[in-house]
Order: sequence, then structure tokens, then C-alpha cells
Amino acid sequence: MQSESALLQPLARALKYVTLALGAFVMVFPFVWMIIASLMTAGEIQLRPPVWLPAEPQFRNYSELGESIPMGRLYFNSLFTSALIVFGVLLSSSLAGFAFAKYRFPGREFLFYLILATMMIPFFVTLIPVFFIVRQLGWIDTYQGLVVPGLTSAYGIFLMRQFIITLPDELIDAARIDGASELRIFWRIIVPLVKPALATLGTFTFIGSWNAFLWPLLVINSRELMTLPLGINSMKSLYADNTHLLMAGTAVAVLPMLCVFIFLQRYFIQGIALTGLKG
Amino acid sequence: MQARLSRRRRAWWLPEIPKSALMRRRMLWAYAFVAAPVVALLVFLLGPILFSGWVSLHRWDMLSPVSEMPWRGLSNYRYLLTKDPVFLKSLGNTFFFAIGGVGANTILGLGFALLLNSRIRGRAIWRVLYFMPVITAPLALAVMFAFIFDRNYGLVNNVITAIGLPRQPFLSGPNQALLTLVFIAVYQFVGYYIVLFLAGLQGIPQDYYDAAQVDGAGKLQEFRYITLPLLRPVMLFVVVTNTIGALQVFDLVFATTGGAPANSSMTVVLHMYNTAFKFSRMGRASAMAFILFGIILLITIVQVRLLRDRAYQD
Repeated sequence: MQSESALLQPLARALKYVTLALGAFVMVFPFVWMIIASLMTAGEIQLRPPVWLPAEPQFRNYSELGESIPMGRLYFNSLFTSALIVFGVLLSSSLAGFAFAKYRFPGREFLFYLILATMMIPFFVTLIPVFFIVRQLGWIDTYQGLVVPGLTSAYGIFLMRQFIITLPDELIDAARIDGASELRIFWRIIVPLVKPALATLGTFTFIGSWNAFLWPLLVINSRELMTLPLGINSMKSLYADNTHLLMAGTAVAVLPMLCVFIFLQRYFIQGIALTGLKG
Repeated sequence: MQARLSRRRRAWWLPEIPKSALMRRRMLWAYAFVAAPVVALLVFLLGPILFSGWVSLHRWDMLSPVSEMPWRGLSNYRYLLTKDPVFLKSLGNTFFFAIGGVGANTILGLGFALLLNSRIRGRAIWRVLYFMPVITAPLALAVMFAFIFDRNYGLVNNVITAIGLPRQPFLSGPNQALLTLVFIAVYQFVGYYIVLFLAGLQGIPQDYYDAAQVDGAGKLQEFRYITLPLLRPVMLFVVVTNTIGALQVFDLVFATTGGAPANSSMTVVLHMYNTAFKFSRMGRASAMAFILFGIILLITIVQVRLLRDRAYQD
């Protein structure tokens, strides 16, 4: 018995690492293959029998992109609109969450249940009316059309309320005795204490709006206002016969964000695990 | 002024206004804090869902004025459920996609989380590698995998033919397109579920396992009687959110197959998008949205009941 398990243990350990490595290979290799293919020539991609590496890496594939796709512009649009949305969601969620957690006012319960109910509405149900509203406002093909419907989040309000309600009332009372205004209490006491929750909500919101596709697809028509996912979508038809360029373009759109993620991964993953457990 | 207000008898439906000026001022601040978000949610969520329900009972192309929409009663719903083969097909596809994806994500997510939770080197590095696709735009993954699964020049077919197996159509095959999409979706999200399960596993106190070992329980028994029951909350969250998300799949399908070949990979939200924004049938598209919304609500309720009730029994 003893000798059997002593024999099996290294084997089980090895199997564990092999499984993990195999899984990780499947996860990472598509990205690696994208980079490899982006350095091939148009001919190399279609060679039979296939080649696994370019004879000579074609870095000019990347410079060729700039001639037809305004990458800088795509990045600016994605960053600008995502930043506005993150700012709006963080501000509105924490202010409303603060009010729902720490104030008594007529209609509080009713409004809070209303927000809980809207949390369950999926985006596709409101897609047509919201598109109609945005069109009536004349916001088609504008930044505000892209951003304004995303500035508030029922989930965000709920999340912030749950965090703020755990803070002791004495903190707020003490600040009031010192003569602090309500806004000052919010800014100087509440916000610093809920920073971890804000970071998590901000991360979620950022990834969501950075990767969003359906709404931008409906609202934005002109090249100057396209976000990165829209850019990838238009490259799909532009480079239908130039897979090497399509891969180069996708790599440029994806890799910088991945680098940021790898750099900040601890905060990302901790925050995400945190909200998962709360829900 | 204040005294008169408080002495008058308040009708039952009137809200109670705080008596002191200080409290009233605080109340006004609270209203100021919630005003903008509440208005925004009314305009962009609650109003739209009511309007969407109203539109689903009409015929509307979004160009003619709202006041002149011809009333159609429930005929949009009747048409979808009895006469629209694409809708029924897309509904079946969407269910298949969700069941396959949720099943694989739950099993693989829990399996890899168990591996990562055991004594292992480089846990953080493994986690990062598995998490990379989660934060990548679905559009980018769609483009990457459309190439990887390409019938002629794709990596997978290159490997398959190199070892002498026949070339597979994958995304362009009516029997394989949907399955390939399930694979891509699992690839994208499994890392997220690994992280959630891992956090759940790490939240289980070691004492339970120590006690079980004293009682002579085996690894399998520990898993069955300690790990699984204590993971129920995480399991519930994973299954419910994954199902809700999978039933709404759009980006991935739009950017790979577009529902082709022969609608074999058409999903509900993509069909709804086409109906609304290609064919301008807003009434029918809204009815589709409501049917799917109803199904999502129903499934969520059933899942919550099932997974929660069993937790009480244990």
C-alpha cells in the first residue's frame, strides 16, 4: 500500500503538470499563431504543404496597416469612450449607492427595487428602443450616442450600495459633527473606503466597453469614430484576401491590452473573484 | 410652516417628509445623488423595455411615426412560434450553444480550479495564461479562430491533414459550425470560471478536510461530501451567469459564420438583429426579444430553485 502510493505520487504530480501545460498551450497558442501568421507573406499562408514559420519575418506587414487602417484613431476612440463610460459609471454608481445605503428619504425602497428589477433586463431587449431614442436625439454617429446610454449601471449602483452599507454610520456622523458637507463626506470618507470596489467595478466596466461591439456597430458609421472592435470588423472585409494583414491588424488591436492585463493581473483577477463570490 | 405641515393629516399614499430642516436638507441631497442615475435608467432601460413590449404588438419599420404603428395584437408572436422556421431553428441552436458551453465551462472550470488549488508551482502564472482570452475582444477571437479553423489554410486542418486525416469544414460545415462556436466560446470564458471556482475552493476551511481525514474519508468522498456542497453558491453563480450570457451570444456568431451555412449556426439575437436592422421589422424583432427574455427568466428561476434547494437538503 505504502510503496504503491509512493510510486503513484510522482506520476500523479507529473500528470497534473502535463494537463495544466496542455490547457495553457491551447489557451496561448491561438495568440502565438496570430503573431506568426502576421509575419508571413500572403503566399506563405496559402502554401501546400503548409509552413509553420515565415522564411523571413515580414515586419512591414505592420507598417502596411497604417496606410489603410487609422490604428491610432481607433485606439483614441476606444480609450476616450471607455474612459468616459468608466468615469460615468463609477461616479453615478457610488453617488447613488451612497444615497441608497446611508440616507433615509421617501421612495428609497421603491427606487431601489426598481433598480434591482432593471438589473435583470438584458441588453438585447432594449436595443431597438434605445437605438430609436438615440436616433431621435440626432446622436447617430456621434460620441454621445456611443457613450451616454452606458453612463449608468444598475449593477454598479447595487454593488456600491452593498459595499457602502457595510461602512459604520459613526464615520459619517463624526464628519457631520465636524461640519463636513454631504459632498465632502462622500468625497473624503466614502470614496477612499470603497476604492477596492470601485477598482473592480471600473475594471469590469472598462473591459465591457473596450470590447463592446453590437452597440457601436449600430451607432457608428464613419471611420473617424470607429472603436477597435469595429476596426477589426471592417478589416475583416478589407483584408478578406490578405489574412497576413488581418492577423497583423488584430494583433495590434489586441496585444497592448493583453500586456496591460499581464502587468496588472493580480488586481484584475482578485477583483473579479471578489464580485463572483458576492453574487 | 413646519408645524402646520406636520399637524395636517397625511393621506396614506403621501410619503413621510422629515420634520427637521436639517433632515430635509439631507433628504434633498440624497435625491440629488440618485436623480441622474434614476432618470438615466428610466430613459435607457425601463422606458425602453415597456416600449419594446408595445412595439412587439405592432408592425413598425422605425421610419413611420410611433403614433401610426398598425396594431397587430399577438400575431408577431404567433408568426414566430408557428411560421418562422429560422426563429425556431435559431432557438434550438441557441439552446444547444448554451447547454454545450455551460456544461463544458462548468466541468473544465471546476476541474482546472481543483488542479490549481492543489499543491502546485506557479499558480499565478497558470491563472494569467488561462485568463488571457477572457479580456480579449470577442471580435478579435472570432477573427483569430475563423483563420485557425479555415477549411483551406487553417492551422487545425494543416495539422489534421499532416497526420493523414481528412480535411474538416468546421465553421463552414452545417454539422460542425455550431460545435466549433461552442469550442470558441468555451475557450474564451473558461478562464473566468476557473478563477471563480478557485476563489470558491480557497474559501473552504481546511478544518473540514482535516476532520474528514481523521474519519478516514477518501479523496473522492471529500470531493462529494465537502467540496461540492460548499461550492454550491459559486456553482449557482457560474451556471446562472454563464447561461444568461450564452443565450445572448451575438458578437462571436456575427463575426464568424453570420449564422451560415443554411442557418445551422443562427442564434436568436443574431436573427433578431437581422430582422430589425436589415429587414426593418421592429415589431417582429421585439417579439423575438421578449420570447428570449421570458425564456431566460424562466431558466434562471428554475436554476436558482434547483441549485439552492439541494443546498438546503445537504
